[in-house]
Amino acid sequence: MTILDRIRKGETGVLVIGMHAPIVQSMLDFDFLSGKSEPSVVAIVTGGVKARKFFFGEKELLVPCVAHVSDLSPRLSGRVRWALNVQSGRRAFNSIVDFFTAFPRSLGVSIFAENVPEAHAAELIRRFSHDKLIWGPASVGFLVPGSLKLGAVGGVDPLQIKNGKLTVSGGIAVGSTSGGMTNELIRSVINAGKHVSFAAAVGGDRFPVTPLSDLFLLAEADTQTKALVYFGELGGVDEYEIVDLIRLKKFTKPLVAYIAGVIDDAFDEHVQFGHAKALVSHNDESARAKRDALKKAGAVVSETFPEFLSALSKLPESPVNDTNYSVDSLMTRRASILSTRKIVAYEKIPAFVKKGALVKGAEHAYGKAVLEALLGKKIRSKTTSAFIEAIFQLLIDHGGEVSGAVNTMITARAGKDLVSSLSAGLLTIGPRFGGAINDAARVWLSGVRSSESAEALVKRMNASGVLIPGIGHKKYRVDIPDPRVEAIAAFATLLKKHPCYDFARSVEKVTTGKSGSLILNIDGCIAALVLDILAECERYTHVELTELIDAEFCNTLFIIPRIVGFSAHFIEQKRNDEGLFRLPEDLLFTRGSEKRHGTKNK
Amino acid sequence: MARVRITEYRAKKIIIGRRYSGIRIAPGATSTLPRKGRWIFKVDQGIKQRFKKGLVAVVEKSSDVARFRRAWEKKGYSSFLLEPYVSHEAGEERYISFERVRGGLKVLYTADGGVHVESAASSVSEYVARGDSDSARIAEATGLPHEFLEQVISVFNRHFFSFLEINPLVVRGSDVFLLDAAVLVDSAGAFFLRDSWDETDIIQSKISNAVESRVAELQLTTSASLKLKVLNKNGSLFFLLSGGGGSIVIADEASLKGFASMIGNYGEYSGGPTREETYLYAREVVRILLASRAKKKALVIAGGIANFTDVKTTFAGIIDALSEVSHRLKKQNVEIFVRRGGPNETEGLSHMRSFLEHKHIFGSIAGSDAPLTEAVDRAIEYLQS
Repeated sequence: MTILDRIRKGETGVLVIGMHAPIVQSMLDFDFLSGKSEPSVVAIVTGGVKARKFFFGEKELLVPCVAHVSDLSPRLSGRVRWALNVQSGRRAFNSIVDFFTAFPRSLGVSIFAENVPEAHAAELIRRFSHDKLIWGPASVGFLVPGSLKLGAVGGVDPLQIKNGKLTVSGGIAVGSTSGGMTNELIRSVINAGKHVSFAAAVGGDRFPVTPLSDLFLLAEADTQTKALVYFGELGGVDEYEIVDLIRLKKFTKPLVAYIAGVIDDAFDEHVQFGHAKALVSHNDESARAKRDALKKAGAVVSETFPEFLSALSKLPESPVNDTNYSVDSLMTRRASILSTRKIVAYEKIPAFVKKGALVKGAEHAYGKAVLEALLGKKIRSKTTSAFIEAIFQLLIDHGGEVSGAVNTMITARAGKDLVSSLSAGLLTIGPRFGGAINDAARVWLSGVRSSESAEALVKRMNASGVLIPGIGHKKYRVDIPDPRVEAIAAFATLLKKHPCYDFARSVEKVTTGKSGSLILNIDGCIAALVLDILAECERYTHVELTELIDAEFCNTLFIIPRIVGFSAHFIEQKRNDEGLFRLPEDLLFTRGSEKRHGTKNK
Repeated sequence: MARVRITEYRAKKIIIGRRYSGIRIAPGATSTLPRKGRWIFKVDQGIKQRFKKGLVAVVEKSSDVARFRRAWEKKGYSSFLLEPYVSHEAGEERYISFERVRGGLKVLYTADGGVHVESAASSVSEYVARGDSDSARIAEATGLPHEFLEQVISVFNRHFFSFLEINPLVVRGSDVFLLDAAVLVDSAGAFFLRDSWDETDIIQSKISNAVESRVAELQLTTSASLKLKVLNKNGSLFFLLSGGGGSIVIADEASLKGFASMIGNYGEYSGGPTREETYLYAREVVRILLASRAKKKALVIAGGIANFTDVKTTFAGIIDALSEVSHRLKKQNVEIFVRRGGPNETEGLSHMRSFLEHKHIFGSIAGSDAPLTEAVDRAIEYLQS
């Protein structure tokens, strides 16, 4: 199967390296208008953000962004076959090497940048050109109508996709050194009543990684291609390779060519034209010489551009499936300014009372509904719902002496309203109070992933003076276990595997060896089990769990039930109405040097 | 990726290193000989065939240096090089060049070097160096010291050279003398180099007029491509073209119709310039058009169907430039002919049409449905009428 066949069969996933929003959008529009259900752009390698918003048709789509080629989750990376490099010429080489290292089975790359050093292009040729298609440097891209648009090729607005019939697969291959002329040729083929089988710009640089001759061989091997249309320029000698291919019968299909630059003959000395290579330094690099050589080999080489256009209409063509469509709706779409999702499905409100009687509700319905809202997806397992329900139950309150509850109550007694008092309590939640679940989850998850032992982890964190989140309790100790931890820990027995929980316990084993109070506490236990349950029962990947931790998901498991606890304390205070709270003076310690009537100095 | 020439002084400094005893004489610096003896004094500005042009001299006194310098400065040269004279026989002069090609480095060598090397083409051998072992093979075939070849190839690769020509090259045992060296470097490599060549070592190509130099300066400040060359300042056909390939096709068409001598300029903008950049570029084209003394003049605003350069944005920049001088264009009976396609084509063309019609400088206008050569063909019809 040729590479073109593989593309037409759907091997079209693209990793975009660098950011060029209009090009990415045009690729998505091409996919949508080609009738694909899934966008070709799998992800974008660009720093600073996790996603960028684009349109897929009229709907908006968040395209995942990663900082480095190797950061892609396995679920996404499985689809990647191509890279589109839109970085600067300085960075192109390294990122392409990284790409082929991370995706050895990928098919190719298109390099948009000019200013890639010759030595880098030569090294890409040496390493990769034998089995990868690499268009560029300075290529506008690679188009397989209806299947793949790798780059700006063919245009970036939906009207160009429609008018250039980029979604309609035909029988004429288009090849060019010039990016602009690639598009001009595509349109010329369409205006001549034909359709394109594939189009590629090898790029205007001195050493295109995939050479012009490979483009011709690609056209020769492709059964769908009936003829090739080529645009070349003065400068360079690549056309003589084509002459050789024709002579050796390695390229046998009809060829119509235009070699630009006969104007150069009209000047006293050679002129440097637009592209770097477009300068004649030997006579055989002149447009005239190259035209003559191709003509001699049997190609149709037009003298003028209008003649070239009329030669196109005489080319053979296979039957095509052309359908008319409108792009009006794509031309008028407006991007939203804030991305969100539907948190609760209002159209599915359950009936609670039927025929004067209570409808029996689902078990753990509240916990399940909350978790589905937080995660944005359906919960599959009863274990998960039951676990959430259990946590919510246990974490409602932990007595009036904890700092968040104290702040709520003091604020309530200062005469403030519910929201103010509750806010005072919530604002207390942080690294030392209630915020440990998320931190602990991060430690357990990275511990399981890395090869670091529990001993090494404890040693490392101790050495840097950091307390291990999820470890240690004021009241409970090895010999007086926390009953809540025991209750939660029992969920581990419902799982086939519980790597985070195991790791947490192995850390506990090390820490309790130092002090009996350094046990796995309720925060640490919840953190470990929520990860294990989401992984096993809800099939979350490591990357997805990391994303949840980055978004502070685990802390919501504390905050949600604790709002209930704080509210209860608030109501209690309002009921009692004991007036403004003030700390009795004898409970304050005042430092010696600051005493108003200081003790005598020596 | 452009190949640019650097000074002989810098080239040899990089190849030979600290042992190189040449002295650069920059504009304004004094030019006394550092010690007695015979010296070679030459212009160091990337001039080909300096010997034949009388830009190389053997000197023995500081007054000789001053005399030659004055004479050369009168001819417009400003950068010179002094090197100790290496006495040798003409028969010792060899030639070697290295050029980066697709498959490695192409090496051309002949023992028959010197100023007349071009007539010795039949004696030139060609080798391609792909890997490390190739330098040994070439050393054996040419009789050049292996160590020398190995070092030159390594320097060539490390310093982003594209072309190196040493002629004459004199070899005595393991001693190698580079009497004359010319180097083209890859300008895209500058970013990756420290303690090597830099911008200041690059020999600037001569820019003959102010318009070209303003566009060249503008080019330095943008990622888009902006090029302009004045061909005939009293031409009648002026080009405001876009796209490297499409612009040549349009110029070809004028040439094939016998209008080459009437073309005022060649140039192109591409790579998505902003409205402001297009304005500044278009202003220069309009400036030379207005200055031309031709009786009948036409401006062709044309290009292929852009992939990503926005037609509406770039045309807005062109309209900004035209509107500054629209009354003068009208007064000189200039007509403007347009053919362009690309993103936002419909809006761009319709703005351009209403502007040209309103100012009475309308020739014709066409979009991507018309052939690429539409505008230039119409402009030539107008000039012929």
